[in-house]
Amino acid sequence: MANNKKRVVIIGGGAGGVVLANRLPKDEFDITIIDKQPYNYFLPWLLYIAFKGSRKPIKREIRSVLKPWVNFIQSGANVVNLQDRYVELESGKRLEYDYVVIATGASVDYSRVPGLDKVTEKFGNYHSNEDNAWRVWQTLNKMREGTLAVILAPGAYRCPPSPLEGVFLAEEFFRRRGLRDRVRIVFATFYPRPYPAEPMNELIEPLLKERGIDYVTFYTLDRIDPEKGVAYSMEGEELKFDSAIVIPPHVGVGIKYVPGDVLDSDGFVQADKFTNRVKGFDDAFVIGDASALPVAKTGVTAHLQAGVVAKILQGEDARNTGRTNCPFDVGYGLGTFVISDFYNPTIKYPINRINHLFKVAFAATYWDMLLYPELWDPVFESYFEATEPARIRHLYG
Amino acid sequence: MAVSQGNKIVVDARGIACPGPITEVVKAYRNARNGDIIEVHATDPGFEPDIKAWIQRTGNQLVELRKDSDKIVAVIKVTAKK
Ligand SMILES: Cc1cc2nc3c(=O)[nH]c(=O)nc-3n(C[C@H](O)[C@H](O)[C@H](O)COP(=O)(O)OP(=O)(O)OC[C@H]3O[C@@H](n4cnc5c(N)ncnc54)[C@H](O)[C@@H]3O)c2cc1C
Repeated sequence: MANNKKRVVIIGGGAGGVVLANRLPKDEFDITIIDKQPYNYFLPWLLYIAFKGSRKPIKREIRSVLKPWVNFIQSGANVVNLQDRYVELESGKRLEYDYVVIATGASVDYSRVPGLDKVTEKFGNYHSNEDNAWRVWQTLNKMREGTLAVILAPGAYRCPPSPLEGVFLAEEFFRRRGLRDRVRIVFATFYPRPYPAEPMNELIEPLLKERGIDYVTFYTLDRIDPEKGVAYSMEGEELKFDSAIVIPPHVGVGIKYVPGDVLDSDGFVQADKFTNRVKGFDDAFVIGDASALPVAKTGVTAHLQAGVVAKILQGEDARNTGRTNCPFDVGYGLGTFVISDFYNPTIKYPINRINHLFKVAFAATYWDMLLYPELWDPVFESYFEATEPARIRHLYG
Repeated sequence: MAVSQGNKIVVDARGIACPGPITEVVKAYRNARNGDIIEVHATDPGFEPDIKAWIQRTGNQLVELRKDSDKIVAVIKVTAKK
């Protein structure tokens, strides 16, 4: 019997990989997850370490969030050979597969902006790891006056609202400490407007003005000097700061692929946006942040894509809708969501308290959702249906 | 002053929704040098005002902006890189 089972190898035990593994039926599949380290991280919480000093744990053992029948191998994957259908581990051991799913997420590349490594060491960031997020918290606590710059470096990054969430939470931090008059906050972005999608920007830009936050658009960060406290753009602008938090460029994780041309120039895996099939292969898929697809790098995206791939592996004709649903914290216990799909532009979804509570509730249930997709799927589905872009765009524009 | 030979970089941003095309332009711009030509193909209608604003702001040169039946094509000459 066991011989009839399809061997599925999933590389990466993050938000996407784990939920996919737990969704596949054990009588049909022999499922193995590989991860180079033992923990599943709830990365969104880096924001609350950085800007609120939260001590809530942000990681759990991958093993503890997997169904008992899923095999877990703690090892890096060095090579994915799509032609000969194997994954090579650090030890040189090869795992053959019937299906492979790449769920390796993204990594950050400081080398793309000269000076960024030093800036990060000094001021931290909230897009890489806990240590750097704690550095941001220290940076805020040390500042009594001057300019705090939050800069979105050109390139891909995780979670579209996250740069501005940091800006809004920093503003709240300094106001609550009574330092707001002495600390100038400036946000710099390479996009034409503070929030890239226009409808959402119609909510966000007035809010920045209302809170006295400065911003610079079309600012393509070129290099940054922490000693002089100046960030230079490719457009020739100089931005002076006392502290700078930079959202670093994200790239793929550096696994070797055969053939190599499945990767784009940033090391992300190219795929079909409806099925997540890796370009040119019908037995290989990429989900979540690891893909080069023009969709938001969010856990929700990874989660929904995992659902589609799970169905395809079981022989169904499932397709992605491109749905995003990103909670967006704007400080003071208020929030909105970035909601769109392939067929509908971003909704101008009103800012309120409930949305913020949803974000917090979501965080509280995260690992439970990974482990019990069968219990949470109906909740998720009804929520997604109620907030479907085609349905609510007439309400909010 | 030496005039560089100039490379042509073609950016295919068709089927990518706003702000994807402008991200692709910035990506190409990052790797370009003065004298290079960036030719962008996009389908998102938001691309037209965005690229005009980008040109105005960055001081690069918009050589051509045309609408074909199935796409918008922008040809940019990189002149303003510091
Ligand atoms: C500040 C911040 C706020 C965010 N807020 C939200 C939010 O509100 N909502 C939301 O939906 N998303 C949010 N996100 C984004 C979300 O965290 C990611 O999109 C999500 O984690 C992507 O899941 P993934 O499975 O693709 O990758 P990851 O969760 O990054 O997992 C990738 C895994 O692959 C492993 N791996 C990497 N390379 C190898 C290798 N060579 N061999 C073996 N294993 C490897 C890694 O160790 C890791 O465990 C936020 C992110 C940040 C940083």
